[in-house]
Amino acid sequence: MFRAVFRLSATGARSLARSRACYSAPLASRCYSHGRVETDEEFDSRWVTYFSKPDIDAWELRKGMNTLIGYDLVPEAKILDSALRACRRLNDMASAVRILEAVKDKAGPHKDIYPYLLQELQPTLSELGISTPEELGIDKL
Amino acid sequence: MSLPKPVMRGLLGKRLRFHAPIAVVLSIVAAVAFKYGVTEPRKQAYADFYKQYDAVKEFNAMREAGVFESVRPTGE
Repeated sequence: MFRAVFRLSATGARSLARSRACYSAPLASRCYSHGRVETDEEFDSRWVTYFSKPDIDAWELRKGMNTLIGYDLVPEAKILDSALRACRRLNDMASAVRILEAVKDKAGPHKDIYPYLLQELQPTLSELGISTPEELGIDKL
Repeated sequence: MSLPKPVMRGLLGKRLRFHAPIAVVLSIVAAVAFKYGVTEPRKQAYADFYKQYDAVKEFNAMREAGVFESVRPTGE
């Protein structure tokens, strides 16, 4: 005859006890009660690595860009550089220009971000021969 | 002249943290203003009307006007 042991669920009690105030944490962070929050640098490197895959395919490029655009941030120049080089490997000029359009749109009302990014990406754009939407005249409606 | 690096992260979060409390406060203000600007005066108007309302007198006035079928005006 065994006695059943009743105990409070350990995980339930633990998650109630510890909740991190997360509104000052960086983007894409979940309110974990455990586990560390990824730093901005780690986030950036992860994405640079993603787009640097030598045999990246078109789906992965689109998926990566769409996921990246979903975050509350404008991607860093180095991530965009990696993505543009992936477009080059895929011979996808259209996506390269679209990435620039998307980045401008992500900046929203903050008009200083897009010119800054174009400044940072200028070497890459010249090297890869990518035109900006403005140069193509497709930035106006 | 090279541009300085702007803030590129958390822009929406910052905007929401700023605007959401304002939105909540304004919504509450709008509800309170509607309650005391519209519904309370309306309720008061009804109350005032019915405070001195004589149902029988009104009924007789309507009766004399001949609008009822169940009772005819006095005199017919």
